[in-house]
Amino acid sequence: MKISFTGKQYISLASVIFMLIVWKILSLHFDSDFVLPSPEKTLITTLALFGDVSFLATAGTTILRGLAGFIISGVLGIATGILTGINPYVNAFMRPILVTIRSVPVVSIILLALIWFHPGAVPVFIGMLTMFPFISTNVSDGIRSIDPELVVMANFYRVSRKRIVRELYIPAIMPFIVSGASSAMGIGWRAIIIGEVLSQPHYGIGTMMQNAQTFLNVDAVIAWTIIAVLISYVFEKVIRLTESKFIMWRS
Amino acid sequence: MSLEIKNLHKNFGNISLFNDFSFAFHEGTITCILGPSGCGKTTLLNIMGGIIKADSGQLSGFHEKAISYIFQDPRLLPWLTVGENIEFVLKGDMPAEQRHKVTGQLIRLMELEDFAGYYPSKLSGGMRQRVSIARAFAYPSDVILMDEPLKGLDIKLKLNLIRIFSRMWQADRRTVIFVTHDVDEALLLGSDIIVLSRPPAMIMLNERVDIPYETRSLDSGSLRDMEQRMMAALGN
Repeated sequence: MKISFTGKQYISLASVIFMLIVWKILSLHFDSDFVLPSPEKTLITTLALFGDVSFLATAGTTILRGLAGFIISGVLGIATGILTGINPYVNAFMRPILVTIRSVPVVSIILLALIWFHPGAVPVFIGMLTMFPFISTNVSDGIRSIDPELVVMANFYRVSRKRIVRELYIPAIMPFIVSGASSAMGIGWRAIIIGEVLSQPHYGIGTMMQNAQTFLNVDAVIAWTIIAVLISYVFEKVIRLTESKFIMWRS
Repeated sequence: MSLEIKNLHKNFGNISLFNDFSFAFHEGTITCILGPSGCGKTTLLNIMGGIIKADSGQLSGFHEKAISYIFQDPRLLPWLTVGENIEFVLKGDMPAEQRHKVTGQLIRLMELEDFAGYYPSKLSGGMRQRVSIARAFAYPSDVILMDEPLKGLDIKLKLNLIRIFSRMWQADRRTVIFVTHDVDEALLLGSDIIVLSRPPAMIMLNERVDIPYETRSLDSGSLRDMEQRMMAALGN
């Protein structure tokens, strides 16, 4: 594979190198792996994690939790989004609920969820709750963005109701669903890992981070962080790929 | 079966747009309805198309016929290409093979060959309106309603679209009911021209234009005379 860079990408690359240099300087300054291990030591720890026997179970469980939260919030978000987009009364009813979910600190919800649920379910619940408002609001905006004149046109030409839904409504809201999913995922991963740190389920990236922190394995804390970032990045890429499929008609 | 409006009444707020308005259209011709803005031309078209309801009165012939509508705004689906937009209205009515044939034919007639795969966002306003006209002719209708589709286009584009439209129509003479406020458009396209007054609408002028489309020119004496009469009727 050939990789070529544009001018702006060179600057971004320089920025990454700059951060690594700052990290290296700070690690030299503190001169202690218990405060800040060097980038190269962290890299070795990260690579070693991939070879660890429990790596797949740990990362896999977190990914499954993310997907579970995402799917539940997706189903609920699309359903409520469609209803709020179509009906202003449902919208008036849903708005305070969404505002409440958005403004309550994640930690408060986690503390309550710890009382209510099994530790493994807490992160899923937190992820679901943080992702849901994004998807719901976006779908609702998508429904409202549909040009009523296009619907008049389709009705005039006696296009069937089924085809109007499939060929007019769905393509119109698809870009909104994808962009909602993208924002939801970005926030969702972070919420799930916080949930894991606090609920301490058997497997999970958050659990491993918490354990590493307890024993002052700072390199492992950072290494798991890098893995969490990678997972988030991969999912973001997948969503962006889907998005380009739906918006190629935009100029 | 003739197309007729009888004793139409329609109020809009406290304005009476139509108060016992009647008119019979000649089938297989292009009737241009001219009138000052706000006279209810578009409302009349929407009543004929069944988009809005009259307060009272009868429409005869319209319900039995299939109707195409060329809206003022082209109303194309942004996620469909030119060809797909034309096919969109045909899907329920004809099998795929015939659909492709009809679409291909109209794309050629409307001189859209080079743009068949384009999305509307890549097209100019005049181009989009051409797609909307192609869609109306592709749809197997008896009547085509047009609501000032040339509004906002510059004079060169306008004349070009009029040329393409009249050529299309001569190959496929459907009943066209065309609403406009532009005298030149009416003179170049109309077989019958009626001029409406300010509301409540009355017919101020009803003329037949017998000059063949190929020989119509805005510079010709007979069109000039007609233009004078139309301007006078509009001036009321």
